[in-house]
Amino acid sequence: MFKWLSGKKAEETPKVHSLDLEELKEQLKTELNVGADLVFRTLKRDGEKLIFCLIDSLIDSTKLDEVVIKSIMNHKEIEWTCEGISKVLPMASIHAVNQLGEVVQGINQGKVYIYSEGQPYGILADVSKNLVRGLEKAETESLVYGPKISFTESLQSNINILRNNIKDEDLCTEDLTVGRRSKTKAKIVYIRGIADEQIVNTFKQRLNELELDYIPGTTVLGQYIESNSWTVFPQLMTTELPDRISIALYRGKVAVLMDRSPDALYGPTSFFAFFESTEDVYMRWNMGLFLRLLRLVATFISVLLTPAYVAVLTYHYEVIPSPLLLSLGESRARVPFPPVFETLLLEFVIELLREAGARLPTKVGQTIGIVGGIIIGQAAVQAGFTSNILIIILCLSALGSFTTPSYLMGTAIRLIRFPIILMAGLWGGIGIMIAFCFFIIHLLRLETIGGPYLTPIYPARIKDIGYSFFKLPPQYFSFRPITNRTKDKERFPKKKAKQKKDVDE
Amino acid sequence: MKVNLHPKEGLLINAFMLFFIIHSVQVGVGLAGLPRVVYLVAKHDAWISVFLAGMITSIVLIFMVQMLKQYDSADLYGIHVDVFGKWAGQSLNFIYMIYMTSTFFIILMNYIEIVQVWIFPTLPTWQLSLVLILIVIYAVYGGIRVIVGVAFFSVIGTVWLVIVLFVPLQFGDFTHLLPILNVNAKQLVMGAQSTTLSMLGFEIIMFVYPFVKEKHKSMLFVQIGNLFTTIIFTLATLISIVFFASNSLEKTIWPVLSMFKIVRLPNLERFEFIAVSFWMLIILPNMCFYLWAASKGFSRILGKRQKSGVWIIAIVTFAATFLIKSRYQMNTITDVVAKLGFYFAFCYPVLLAMIVFIKKWFKRRGDKHAETQ
Repeated sequence: MFKWLSGKKAEETPKVHSLDLEELKEQLKTELNVGADLVFRTLKRDGEKLIFCLIDSLIDSTKLDEVVIKSIMNHKEIEWTCEGISKVLPMASIHAVNQLGEVVQGINQGKVYIYSEGQPYGILADVSKNLVRGLEKAETESLVYGPKISFTESLQSNINILRNNIKDEDLCTEDLTVGRRSKTKAKIVYIRGIADEQIVNTFKQRLNELELDYIPGTTVLGQYIESNSWTVFPQLMTTELPDRISIALYRGKVAVLMDRSPDALYGPTSFFAFFESTEDVYMRWNMGLFLRLLRLVATFISVLLTPAYVAVLTYHYEVIPSPLLLSLGESRARVPFPPVFETLLLEFVIELLREAGARLPTKVGQTIGIVGGIIIGQAAVQAGFTSNILIIILCLSALGSFTTPSYLMGTAIRLIRFPIILMAGLWGGIGIMIAFCFFIIHLLRLETIGGPYLTPIYPARIKDIGYSFFKLPPQYFSFRPITNRTKDKERFPKKKAKQKKDVDE
Repeated sequence: MKVNLHPKEGLLINAFMLFFIIHSVQVGVGLAGLPRVVYLVAKHDAWISVFLAGMITSIVLIFMVQMLKQYDSADLYGIHVDVFGKWAGQSLNFIYMIYMTSTFFIILMNYIEIVQVWIFPTLPTWQLSLVLILIVIYAVYGGIRVIVGVAFFSVIGTVWLVIVLFVPLQFGDFTHLLPILNVNAKQLVMGAQSTTLSMLGFEIIMFVYPFVKEKHKSMLFVQIGNLFTTIIFTLATLISIVFFASNSLEKTIWPVLSMFKIVRLPNLERFEFIAVSFWMLIILPNMCFYLWAASKGFSRILGKRQKSGVWIIAIVTFAATFLIKSRYQMNTITDVVAKLGFYFAFCYPVLLAMIVFIKKWFKRRGDKHAETQ
């Protein structure tokens, strides 16, 4: 009923700043409130006053001195008006403004505001200084084979890398502002003519509807635009590898890059996409296939091996053939705990080692790994805390979870092991199956940017299986993944790839 | 209530998924005991009976799909109302809903019984039934797409068990099959009728049909699904007859599970523990589809939210699990539901299809008549 009262009221009326220099200074001081960082430099000529307003810490002072002030001082003949000054400034990005809000925003972004007293407009010129770290090798996604360059925190340089990778004039980089207060720059990147407009629009809509004050990075951004935030499974992929983004873009995906965030977010990514590494693409198809299957098997083992141990030793020891049962019994003879407790204990130790190794500097981390792994393991067995076989099984499953290229998915897989172990301790094989059924249903219910999560398997897109599950010789991939509903379906003419030569032709 | 159901575009499923749906709903708890049940009636020609039952099912499916094709996009609930009017139609809907709830219940209880007999004799029924019902509710909440996904993964994840069934064959004696066709026709037909409980499930097509994208292809995939089921059932029966001696097959309640016992890998024995666990994946789509169809009926009849229907049916089923105390009660109820299923899934749809054909024929004639005048 009172909608007309509450609506639109918050919107500020645009306000022109004071034309008087002293008053302008006061206004800027109260608006910006940055203390001594706010610097004013005044030039005088025959009673005319020209003022430069800037924030000291945000600007490149040589640029300001050499380009802006010098060129104005050198051209004595010009009028100190908006047009006059803009004629002599050798800069690409200058704006004429007079709104207080715009001026404040500009100064806050590292621009200098040049204003001559009494004029209706002033000039905002960009002299900002970006502190950028140099390009480095990828750390979190380490590779043996393939390009190793990784994104940095600067959006500009990230886009630069990407554009250098893809010299495609259809590469769109649309601007966005993320964070209602922090106003972080972000870009939504896709290739026009390949990416499905619906997916692009879903991304845009979800990003524009965000009303958060501040988002620290793309990984957090991803969590906000995902469909299901309760699950452990990540639904959007983040990567620090520019070539991974280029490959994804040509498969019809959409990426989001954010300033001050060294990761790019892209989607739609199905469950199996998290088990792909760029190495699979660079390697020969049979090696890639082998590695990919190895990774999937490793994941499977990692999830099911320890629960199976618990289930078998607690309830179904009949399943083990008698020779094997003997050695198992022997190694477990001194262990006073039930298998669930024993397993959870050792899983906890392994998680501790992993976390400690990750938090410490590399050199110390390695030592911790060796100390923890060898000494604790050895001592635990000798003290009769655990059985040898469990240590083997646990190490296998820990190794299995580390093979996942995506760190998020690897963590998710380590996490879901715990409820399965508990269920196995409760109901044995039935418990494992219950957990298994639950996770199947759970994964079926998830979605990634409007698309199904288990995509090439269900809904079955048999052609796409080669893109995420298996790998085939390159000539069979003349099409783009069907799941992404790309507009341009073909990567290269299929006929040419299928041509076969006769003998001695 | 509307006769036709027009689901949203995003909810539609491909026609070839019908293969997985029909196959996964048919294969269930019934299969574990199927060879014995048929063997008791049709003796060593039981496998012929099973195959016969598959053929009959296929004919019933033709009737069902043809009946559904008379409508634009209707399910059984809609057809009932269209054919019998509001009151009679809704009562029939209600009865069908009860039938499906009881099938849901029977599947659940039979599986729990198998678990109790084979793995955990002391496991309280209510614990496992509670967990299973909750999982099924979670799936049904996801809607038709998730349930079809469950059916898909159920088929993919358990089809390898068929290969394991070939292992007992090396210890089999094929002379058990001879002489072929030694029993009379009546026994064969009676044997075919005793497969009802295992064959049941295909009636789900009458509820899934509105959600199929390419409706003209549905007949093909439904028939392929049924054929695949028939082959697996016949194979299981055949192997059981070959493997077991006559009197031991009569005494083995779950011959299919018993046969898994002899499978032996270097690091694994007593395969039936794994088979019984995996059986949960086999029955999961059955339970999901029955609960989904029954709750769909709830929302179609009363016009309420399907979610509340899911909960009401689940709570009723859960409460009913406390009523079963012994194996004998279980047997009686399973027999009753099997008999009900015979009438509800085999006889009644054919009858209804006839009525629909006649009605449509009259209507077409009436239209033509009106045109010529």
